[in-house]
Amino acid sequence: MRFASTLIATLAAAAFSHGANAGSLSDGKPFAGTTVKVLAVKSSQFEAHEARLADFTEKTGIKVVYNYVPFPNMREALTAEMVGGTGDVDVVSVMDQWVAGMQMLLSPIDKGVAARKIDLANYPKAHLDQGRLNGALVGLPVRGHIQLLFYRKDLLEKHGLKAPQTWADVVAVSKVLRDKEGIAGIALPYGKLNGQNLMVWYNLLWGQGGSLFDAAGKPIFNSDAGIAATKDYIGFLTQEKITPSGAAGFVEQDAVNSFKQGNSAMVPVWWWVRSQLTDPKQSKLTDAQIGFAALPSYKDKGNTTYTNTWIFGINDRSKRKDAAMEFLTWLSQPALEKEVLLDTKQNEVVAVQFSNLRDAAVNARWGGMHMAAAKALETAPAIKYGEDWPKIVEVLENMMSGLAAGTKTDVKAALDAAAADIAKMRK
Amino acid sequence: MRDRYLKYSLLLPAFVIVMATTFYPLAYSFVTSLREWKLARHRTPQGFVGLQNYAQAFSDETFLEALATTAIFVVASVVLTVVLSVLLALLLRRTGRLHTFTRIIIILPFAMSPALIGVSYRFMFNPEFGVLAKGIGALVPALDGVAWLATPTLAMTVLVLTDVWHWTPYMTFLCLGGLASIPRSTEEAAQIDGASSLRVFFDILLPQMRNVVLVVAVLKTIFALKMFDQVVTLTGGGPGRSTETLAYFVFNIGFKWYDMGYASALAYILTGIMMIVSIWYVRLLLADRKMATA
Repeated sequence: MRFASTLIATLAAAAFSHGANAGSLSDGKPFAGTTVKVLAVKSSQFEAHEARLADFTEKTGIKVVYNYVPFPNMREALTAEMVGGTGDVDVVSVMDQWVAGMQMLLSPIDKGVAARKIDLANYPKAHLDQGRLNGALVGLPVRGHIQLLFYRKDLLEKHGLKAPQTWADVVAVSKVLRDKEGIAGIALPYGKLNGQNLMVWYNLLWGQGGSLFDAAGKPIFNSDAGIAATKDYIGFLTQEKITPSGAAGFVEQDAVNSFKQGNSAMVPVWWWVRSQLTDPKQSKLTDAQIGFAALPSYKDKGNTTYTNTWIFGINDRSKRKDAAMEFLTWLSQPALEKEVLLDTKQNEVVAVQFSNLRDAAVNARWGGMHMAAAKALETAPAIKYGEDWPKIVEVLENMMSGLAAGTKTDVKAALDAAAADIAKMRK
Repeated sequence: MRDRYLKYSLLLPAFVIVMATTFYPLAYSFVTSLREWKLARHRTPQGFVGLQNYAQAFSDETFLEALATTAIFVVASVVLTVVLSVLLALLLRRTGRLHTFTRIIIILPFAMSPALIGVSYRFMFNPEFGVLAKGIGALVPALDGVAWLATPTLAMTVLVLTDVWHWTPYMTFLCLGGLASIPRSTEEAAQIDGASSLRVFFDILLPQMRNVVLVVAVLKTIFALKMFDQVVTLTGGGPGRSTETLAYFVFNIGFKWYDMGYASALAYILTGIMMIVSIWYVRLLLADRKMATA
């Protein structure tokens, strides 16, 4: 059965796959002898790139030095570079939500991308748009995530249940498993941490036909669609009682831990978490127990996913911008991404280029997960983050946390108050 | 003559370091508090806006909420720490192997990083697998499965308890020092006269410990006003804004919202509050000394 599904995924992947044009490095090693310094968030994917730098140095004569910063400190490190930096760092990794606030840090790269013929069509719009700022491209996506619903395949099969397609299915399946297995149906985060309690809610909002803002930037998440979506999301915790008992205080890692410890039957989360879910050092689960599906939606509505993107851009103060662009060109090569994905010594699932997401070999290795991601990314909405995004997230996550904790009980009033706060901030 | 210059030249390195690391940042942040500086748009501070950033604070409901939250936290944390420190000091002042051993190990919580304390307690209060949450649930079945960090009152309680757990050992040692300076003879005389332990404590020990207790209180108040690490790692200021302290609020304004002018003004307001509290305590101390002299 598993072989058959893998074969189907592989054939489908082969059918949809298309060759992407790799950007071309400059002829004649014009920047040989230069050292490019990279400030990157700590990640196994970037370490895998670093391990392959010999190839880049051989082709260009450019030496690259990586300096890693753990995620919790990354924004401060970038801020320090933006305010007080001397241009010693040439390339920076920036998370999508920070890009607008880092406009003083990032340099436009449109000309370099065009000159080196980097195939931008190979990037999903939801990822690529996060590298655009005021009409200019300031970074290329290198790391990107979509959300998937991971579920306990063994338990669903045991009770003759199918993977949920809709939020109503999620409730129904959860109740069966809660009542028969004594575990929570779905682990959701309602606590405060970097807006994590909003990341599933966005999908309910979009599924209801709602949106955060209108074209003029006015908050409209307090529309009827927003109210219905929020009532559903909070209702999973307060009325349906299908979440873990402490979910009101959960952050994303708590939800993932609940699933890994066998206390919850489903968890909607970033796809990169997949490797954690069966890591024997931290999980009680095995590969055979876990299945994945696209994030549920409402009946007759398409699937959605919230995305997370890390772009690599060039420091505006860098004195080696051309060499840095050469490095970005190498980093954007689809072959590099594919090599890391297929490296059996690593467990690296992250890809941001369509040619790899739809690649037969990649999908054969990862059980068709990348094809599912490609499908979701074809239509995934991209939130346009402005420089006021951190304030917006704070208002929204406080609202959601308050509703979950019971300090706010009227969903409409809470959404209206949040919309009024944000409208006031945007004036 | 040479000696006269020598003493200044010896002081010079320390003076330069203090100026560079303390006075310059303080002066710079004060000037910043009077200017407009949105970091996302400008690398350097922009025009002067007078006291506008300070005025903004007092019309900002979120700031006033954070101020109220900080006040609740400070009162609860200081009172509990002071009371526990004095009581523990009374218990540990006796001699003997057990007391010596306890005095050594009791300092361990103080040796831990506040951020690490927050992370650890977050795990320990996880209702699914947290050792404290499960332990409390076993002792009091009604509390089994309670989401400790998802209820405003309980989240504040846990935050206060972690802070008290962290600071009580150090403050206990200060109190032990204070107790050691009290002559045993007065206490023994009272006991011979038939005074009860409570009487001895309230009429003899506590009045003589007054200065130490005041120092403990002033130090703990300042540390509590600066509460930041555990808020970040334990509660994230939630649920809602129920555990959002002033220091955490200032951090958000500065490093998340990139409004450096407003953040600097808020930091100065926080500093002003600390100075007022400190001056009030010092006056109490001095008043006590004057009374003693008189």
